[in-house]
Amino acid sequence: MTFALQSGLLFRRKLLETLRQPVWIITGLSTPLLYLALFEPLLRSVAGGPSLPAGHVLNVFVPGILALMAFGAGMGAGWVVIWELDSGVIERLRVTPASRFALLLGAVLRDVAMFVVPGIVVIGIAIGFGFTAHWDGLALILVLLALLTAACSATSAALGISLKQIGSLAAVVTGVQLPLTLLSGILLPLSLGPDWLRVLGHLNPMYYTVQAARDLAAGTITTTAVGTGFLVTGAAAALAMWWGTRSYQRAMT
Amino acid sequence: MPVTESPPVAIQALGLRKSFRVKDQAVEAVSGLDLTVAAGQIFGFLGPNGAGKTTTLRILTTLLPADAGQAFVAGADVMRNPQQVRRRIGYVGQLGGADGSATGLENLLLQARLYGMTAAAAASRAEELIELFDLRAFAGRIVRSYSGGQRRRLEVALGILHRPQVLFLDEPTTGLDPQNRANLWNQVRHLRDGGTTVFLTTHYLDEADQLSDRLAIIDRGRVIAEGTPAQLKQRYSGDTISITPSGPPDSLESLERELAGIPLVRSTRIEDGSIRLAVTDATRSMAAVFAALAGSGIAVRAAALAQPSLDDVFLHETGRSLRDAGGPTGGPATERPAGEQVAA
Repeated sequence: MTFALQSGLLFRRKLLETLRQPVWIITGLSTPLLYLALFEPLLRSVAGGPSLPAGHVLNVFVPGILALMAFGAGMGAGWVVIWELDSGVIERLRVTPASRFALLLGAVLRDVAMFVVPGIVVIGIAIGFGFTAHWDGLALILVLLALLTAACSATSAALGISLKQIGSLAAVVTGVQLPLTLLSGILLPLSLGPDWLRVLGHLNPMYYTVQAARDLAAGTITTTAVGTGFLVTGAAAALAMWWGTRSYQRAMT
Repeated sequence: MPVTESPPVAIQALGLRKSFRVKDQAVEAVSGLDLTVAAGQIFGFLGPNGAGKTTTLRILTTLLPADAGQAFVAGADVMRNPQQVRRRIGYVGQLGGADGSATGLENLLLQARLYGMTAAAAASRAEELIELFDLRAFAGRIVRSYSGGQRRRLEVALGILHRPQVLFLDEPTTGLDPQNRANLWNQVRHLRDGGTTVFLTTHYLDEADQLSDRLAIIDRGRVIAEGTPAQLKQRYSGDTISITPSGPPDSLESLERELAGIPLVRSTRIEDGSIRLAVTDATRSMAAVFAALAGSGIAVRAAALAQPSLDDVFLHETGRSLRDAGGPTGGPATERPAGEQVAA
């Protein structure tokens, strides 16, 4: 099957590119570990209410950290796309008969790998700190958050192709980053906040991803939140990939 | 009707149009462009910057949809069957397109696989190209570390890797030093001799003149002249006069203004210390020019009926010099055809 072969080849190209820049692998790992080391003690001291029971801080916090990693692993895609537009790589690939979806997917899969591998490392370290592991739940978290990475990566790539300039892309991405992450309850559950904040949260697709991730981390797999999370995140990923593929079809430089 | 054997057509464009929105204004980059390129030749596409060369090329290579018109490349319809066109063409863009974070060999292998070659076929084709383009010494290095010439060689190798019927080169020698430029010219001729049709855009007059078998001159989104370089120049052979004053160079412009006022002189430009006049009838114009020179009292070192260059062709067709038409071109030294000197 040509499409699978092309996606595999393009994934390998992107993976090699990443492995040759180990700096990114190190920052990809150090940020979540710093959160664990610096934010977790802070969180522990405010815990104790009904929304954030003491003793389980890490269980609430780790799924959030993983979601943040998944988000971050995807949102950087646009920078690479712009760099490839400027050096003519995308133009060259677009003149070949390669599938446009494969052109997108190669980079998306790399970003997914760049979430999953450090994600497993962070889970391992968190277990060492006292995080309660529910293995089936954790496996599903990785699948769910891989979809989030795919959605973010494809969106960022599509934005990169249409904006064409690093400055504009940076403005858009940092502009949406804060509301998206804050209103998803990644670092602190939204149930701690007032009603209006929770209403806003429900308008944010990522909110459902994080809710599902929390349930999964607790080992409760068959909740409505998990179903909704997979549905919303899966739909977002599908929509973003469709947009990204279209962008590759029509890219103009 | 006499039946003539005409060579197969590699590229045909009919009424191509493309406009872009720039600050809420539609700017037409290609406006009703017609073009026919026979197979097996080097076809030059000459025009100033911003004339619509790259836009046309991007339409023909399936990168950009046209607003209107039709285009056929290597026997396939660009709009209806882009996938078929992509299999049959090669393209080396202005930006190059080699992946800087991979090695040259990796670039070649991936390109080969994307065109459907097996791993074994890809490896042997990459080996052939490494030999052909003399890439051996650096094929294993990351492309980011290449010099401009090395990179360009790799990029042309990527463009012809799948043995395309038609190869598109967008400003292929821009930024190359004279030696790499000469090498690339040789490679392009070699490809043509092997049966590949090469379509190349350039704003260098000498490149269009010496490398192309045929060429089209494009200005403001349409083809304004087409033929072999010799034919195009021949068309204006009796209509170009060159005047070289003996005074200081700053007298050139005032003299140019004066000569531009003569009714038979259609347009003028300054080149290498002489004024070149595009005129309607050289014999009659010459007399008028001499009369004007005598009246002005400016001493003239030489006045000649000049062999027109492609720039003169452009001047005749558009009233502007190619060098001035699209901003600085910065081309390497242009070979000047010697004019028939007439003592003044």
